[in-house]
Amino acid sequence: MKRWVGLALSACLALPLPAQSVRGRLEGRIPSTAIPAVDSLIQFAAQEGLPTEPLIQKALEGGAKHVAGPRIVAAVQLSLGQLRDARDLLVRAGDQPPVLPAEMTTVAWALRRGLPAPLVERVVAALARPPRGAAMHAVADLVAHGFDPDSAANLIIDAVHDGVPRERLLDVSTAALQQVQRGRTRPEALAIVRRQLPNLPAPARPTRGNVAGARRPAAPVPP
Amino acid sequence: MNVIDQRIHQALDGELAAEAVPAELRHAVARLAAAAALLAAPPPGPAASLESRVMAEIRRPAPSRARRVMRWLVTPHSIILRVRPAWSVAFAAVVATLTLFTAGDQGPELGEHEGIAQFVGRFPEAQSVHVVGTFNDWRPGSIALEDQDHDGVWRATVVLPAGTYEYMFVVDGERWVPDHLEERLVADDFGRENSIVIVRPARR
Repeated sequence: MKRWVGLALSACLALPLPAQSVRGRLEGRIPSTAIPAVDSLIQFAAQEGLPTEPLIQKALEGGAKHVAGPRIVAAVQLSLGQLRDARDLLVRAGDQPPVLPAEMTTVAWALRRGLPAPLVERVVAALARPPRGAAMHAVADLVAHGFDPDSAANLIIDAVHDGVPRERLLDVSTAALQQVQRGRTRPEALAIVRRQLPNLPAPARPTRGNVAGARRPAAPVPP
Repeated sequence: MNVIDQRIHQALDGELAAEAVPAELRHAVARLAAAAALLAAPPPGPAASLESRVMAEIRRPAPSRARRVMRWLVTPHSIILRVRPAWSVAFAAVVATLTLFTAGDQGPELGEHEGIAQFVGRFPEAQSVHVVGTFNDWRPGSIALEDQDHDGVWRATVVLPAGTYEYMFVVDGERWVPDHLEERLVADDFGRENSIVIVRPARR
């Protein structure tokens, strides 16, 4: 039910977006010659039920970095392809279409961070219920630090099955990385953390000193 | 105040025979006579002279310093404060000001789905450092880092909705640099790498 409500809301928000506000966000931020092509790519994404915000952000990023128009269009096109791949992967792994936009973004992140597609597909299939963002980043963090990809994915999947809340999966990868910092080999680190599951060290919380000087950006964009 | 019956006085002074005391007063006379006898009796044990008692007190070893301190701490002391009302008002005003100042320095109230992102970079020669990313539409100049103690380490603490963001530092308005302290990196598709920050909700 929540899934369908989320999709309906996403559709309501996404459909009127490309026509007016997307051009408004792009004008003055990217070369004007690139706007029609970028805009049409975003229209394609919206029509296919893909998230459009990552494409807008990619275009704005290129403009901010003073990249030439054709390269911006190419990068947006690449992002569009990554989102399509992510959608297809999710469907292959068992998600029923229409796939949640947030899950497509998550899988696209995981692929861009270098996780092999079969591994991502295995994690998606093992964690049948979204959200999977924390799990994907936890696996990607471990792989980025030299852990065996399959072993890393197994640890995170085991953590979920052992009852570790999704929002704490990054603490699982952090715990394994801390074991390596203490001199354990990577297999030893994974074994130690697996024995501790589902118990984990308390995550670091923002201290009063951290929060004291915090400020909000003028107009934060929802992720 | 209770007034003792005159006949009780007379009975205690021997001026009135015991059998002449009315029956209702006899119990009171007996209790008072017993009390008087108790007061008149010598104290139990050998009576110590004043001199011997003083000498015994002198010969008793002085209590240790810790014991004296403890005794001072547990003994009630009177403290007299003489305060001018004007000073009291001034003191209260200072306390109120400090309280308000401290409360204002606690930072923004975080929403349920908001968290804190800390951006730190070491740029010893920089004149300005900004962080730009998907949280601010890659708009340069909107979030400045500060180097308050001029040690070359620039910092900014930002409240963001929980989520995953890509970002880079912009040094002196022109040099784009990934966050070398952040180990999560991803290709930006423009030939460089963006850093990734994952903001977790502070209220968990």
